[in-house]
Amino acid sequence: MNAITGLVLRTLLFISLYAFLGTAVWLLWKSVTGSRLRGGTIAIPTLTLATTIDGEQNIQTFTSSDVLVGRNPDCDLVLDDETVSGRHGRLTYHLNQWWYEDLKSTNGSWLDDLKIEEPIVVKDNDSIYCGDAVFKIYIKPLQ
Amino acid sequence: MLLLVCITLFFYAAALSLATGTRLHSETLLINAEYFVPFLVWLIGTLVVQRNIRRKLPNRDPWIFPATTGLTGLGMLTIWRLSPDLGLKQSLWFLVGCGFFLLALNTTDLIKILKTYKYVWLLLGIILIGLTFIIGVNPTGSGQRLWLEIFDFYIQPSEPLKLLLIIYLAGFFADQIRPNISWLGSVFPTLIVVGFAGLLLIAQRDLGTASLFVSLYILMLTVTTQRRRLLWVIPALAVLAGTIGYFAFDVVRTRVDIWLNPWLDTSGNAWQLAQAQIAIGSGGLTGTGPGLGSPQFVPIAVSDFIFTAIGEELGLLGTSAVLLLLLLLVVRGIKIAIASKTTFGRYLAFGISAYFALQSTFIIGGNLGLLPLTGVTLPFLSYGGSSLVTNIIAVLLLLRISTETSAQDLPHKLSTPYYWVAGIFVIIFLLISAWNGYLAFPNQQELIARAENPRWAVYDRYSPRGEIYALSGEKLVEVRGEPGSYELWVNQPRLSNTLGYAHPLYGQSGLQSSQYALVRGYAGVTYEERWQHELLYNQPPPGLDIKLNINLALQKRADELLGNHKGAVVLVNAQTGEIYAMASHPSFNANTIAENWDRLMQRTDAPLLNRATQGSYPLGTLANTLAYGSLVESKHAFDLGTAEDFYRLDPFCYRAMQNAGSSLNAFQFGCSSVSELILNSTNPANLQADLEAFGLFSAPELAIETAQPSPALSIDQLDADPLSVMSINVSPVQMAMVAASITNNGMRPAPNLVNSYFTPEGNWQALGPNKAAVVVLSESLAEEIQGELHAKTQSIWYQTGHALINQEEPLTWFIGGTTPEWSATPLAIAIAIEENAPELAMKIGNTLLSLSVSN
Repeated sequence: MNAITGLVLRTLLFISLYAFLGTAVWLLWKSVTGSRLRGGTIAIPTLTLATTIDGEQNIQTFTSSDVLVGRNPDCDLVLDDETVSGRHGRLTYHLNQWWYEDLKSTNGSWLDDLKIEEPIVVKDNDSIYCGDAVFKIYIKPLQ
Repeated sequence: MLLLVCITLFFYAAALSLATGTRLHSETLLINAEYFVPFLVWLIGTLVVQRNIRRKLPNRDPWIFPATTGLTGLGMLTIWRLSPDLGLKQSLWFLVGCGFFLLALNTTDLIKILKTYKYVWLLLGIILIGLTFIIGVNPTGSGQRLWLEIFDFYIQPSEPLKLLLIIYLAGFFADQIRPNISWLGSVFPTLIVVGFAGLLLIAQRDLGTASLFVSLYILMLTVTTQRRRLLWVIPALAVLAGTIGYFAFDVVRTRVDIWLNPWLDTSGNAWQLAQAQIAIGSGGLTGTGPGLGSPQFVPIAVSDFIFTAIGEELGLLGTSAVLLLLLLLVVRGIKIAIASKTTFGRYLAFGISAYFALQSTFIIGGNLGLLPLTGVTLPFLSYGGSSLVTNIIAVLLLLRISTETSAQDLPHKLSTPYYWVAGIFVIIFLLISAWNGYLAFPNQQELIARAENPRWAVYDRYSPRGEIYALSGEKLVEVRGEPGSYELWVNQPRLSNTLGYAHPLYGQSGLQSSQYALVRGYAGVTYEERWQHELLYNQPPPGLDIKLNINLALQKRADELLGNHKGAVVLVNAQTGEIYAMASHPSFNANTIAENWDRLMQRTDAPLLNRATQGSYPLGTLANTLAYGSLVESKHAFDLGTAEDFYRLDPFCYRAMQNAGSSLNAFQFGCSSVSELILNSTNPANLQADLEAFGLFSAPELAIETAQPSPALSIDQLDADPLSVMSINVSPVQMAMVAASITNNGMRPAPNLVNSYFTPEGNWQALGPNKAAVVVLSESLAEEIQGELHAKTQSIWYQTGHALINQEEPLTWFIGGTTPEWSATPLAIAIAIEENAPELAMKIGNTLLSLSVSN
């Protein structure tokens, strides 16, 4: 009787102990995968890119997390200039920031005077020079 | 979440409270309510703290508090289970910790104060350490003086110093503007401070804490300077410091030595480590059950080795839960660091998490033999007030930092080192857990079976051993007492050398050791019964009784006849090899082994040795009988001529025979001149084959420990030096079998001590030797030898022999047996007396052989 009760208690002890640990691990896992999903769909600050080519203002707004910049018509932001490469650069959003990276373009990308060699974080009001073309970045912060 | 923790600990306390009753196989519920004291203390403290943090820190991390308070409660209950005294103290310390927690919770600008006055905190910590040099004490009275005594409470300043150092480092690094970090300006000052604190601790011989500091410092440096390569400095420094320490400090040398070879010195320095691994093995997967194991066999189980105590009683499931809880704390802590709004908060949270992770790694790794042992505490679980209070305050700091999260995540590049450190600790904890699993499962049986495992002594108190009977029915060993205090009692103390003792301190010997599996309930019972007993009670089922072939009347007579002479007597059934009597003098009393241990060990006449089986005596002139067969086989004959001829040949032996008043011939008396004559004229190949067949070069298969057999002599050796036969070492039981083969028409039986065991179904199951008799001599040759050695009046044959033990002490042999005229059971005997006493030997031999007539 005594021993059986003890055995039952021991079993219950392990059940509740692992119930706690299981819940902890499960909720932690959910929070990790959950935030990744959120980062991909909802929580992206709107990106607005303004270009001036041949005196003509062109403003485009993006909600995706990946914006391809180049001369090719299938790019998200098309810069129709001879000094711009087909796939010139890319803007990506990760870790709560917008990043610009140069895709080994012929004439390079510049943030003001700084040649962009590796991915950099871009902020509101930055201007990126792609060859002779230029576009300005506006980031609307999340509410 | 906290509710689940409360329920878990309630079950733990309840299971502990039932343990005593379970051990005693109580039919009714026997509740030992004292375990609810620490549980209630814990519950009250936890609920009060929980109420306050819910109000004050609504946005706190939800996992840190349940995880840490759960670990603390587990520790409090485990400590109470190991030592109610210390458990009570730990409960009081827990309340003190809660007090500090609430105080710190109500200090509004706590984090700011910590940062502003960082140098004050550092100085305070160093002064406290410095004080131990002046007024330091050690609660145990000796050893490292690392404690300060305040009103009967001991404080170990190195515990708060850890936290104070983290605060200082976090504050200092947070002040440096990161892009301009210069090694000289930003790192050098901290290097000096850490170096100084480290040196203080090294001077204190608190090397565990010193290495913890250094590792912690390097981890903090890694995240502040963003240099991942720095992580390699830890293993590099560990090897370097280990090598230097190995030669500079004795402590380090012994620690490293026992880490590398824990099983070499298990009775000395490595005792603790060996016991720790055995405890983990005893726990296995699910543990013995709370309160049912014997974790106290590991010294200092309450503090340094609490992990193994949990491992024994809660098993791999329990230790894995502890590791997971610690990992949860570390991972959440590092996450808090990454999300922190201020740099100071980030460094502080990281430092605290790294401190928990490192300290757990150090001590658990040390417990399991993965790392050299460092005497640091296991956070939250180990006994130790300073450590517990420090940890509780550290948790409060983590909780406060977790409420001040930044809206923006840390840039990817900056957060990488944090992920790295977290990842490394996840891997380390997984490795620890895997090794823990290996010890608890695949390696379990090997660990439990080790000679260093004394748990059988506990089982014996609660589950009776099997008793031992003589064939004539008398109880030789019985179990006395009540469940919980069962004791073995030897009714025939003179048989102690054969029956053996079982004492927790001095181990087991004789039949208690060799028949352990049967008498302890491991063999002969069904698997289900064993499994059920071990699951419910953590005890093997009651042991099975065994019956020996000993005939108590013959045994008593043999003991009486041998009296106070040193030596041994073995009387056997010549046909079956059953041992009817086995005396070994001087003897001891197994019932008083503990009282007399030191005296018994000091005696030079080896009273604990069973001379009948473990005695190793030179064969001497018994070679006469042994070589006679091969002499005949090699077609030689020998003739001693008349008494006058013999007197001329060997006057000394002639006189000895005259003095003994013996009517024997020189062959039967065992004169060395005869041995020389026989050995020199026999064919070495025949002689070698006969000695082999008599079993002189192989240990007899007996139920108790026997002496190492002599190495076999080769034919070449015998050819070169035939007399070397006389210095072969043999045991009396081996010679009894030689006598049996001559008596039994040349067939050598296997000796047989244990007759049968009493099965749980209620019948005696025979336990015969699993070897058939061996043909040694032809029937006619055996008869011829018997004829040569026949006694004048009785229907027995015998020979006495003489030898020198270690070339100086005289030894008298006697072998003999019944002859074919004998109508009852054929008997054989071997006697060895460690003095020159042929008359005594003949008297004992002739009496015992003739006594059996009436038997």
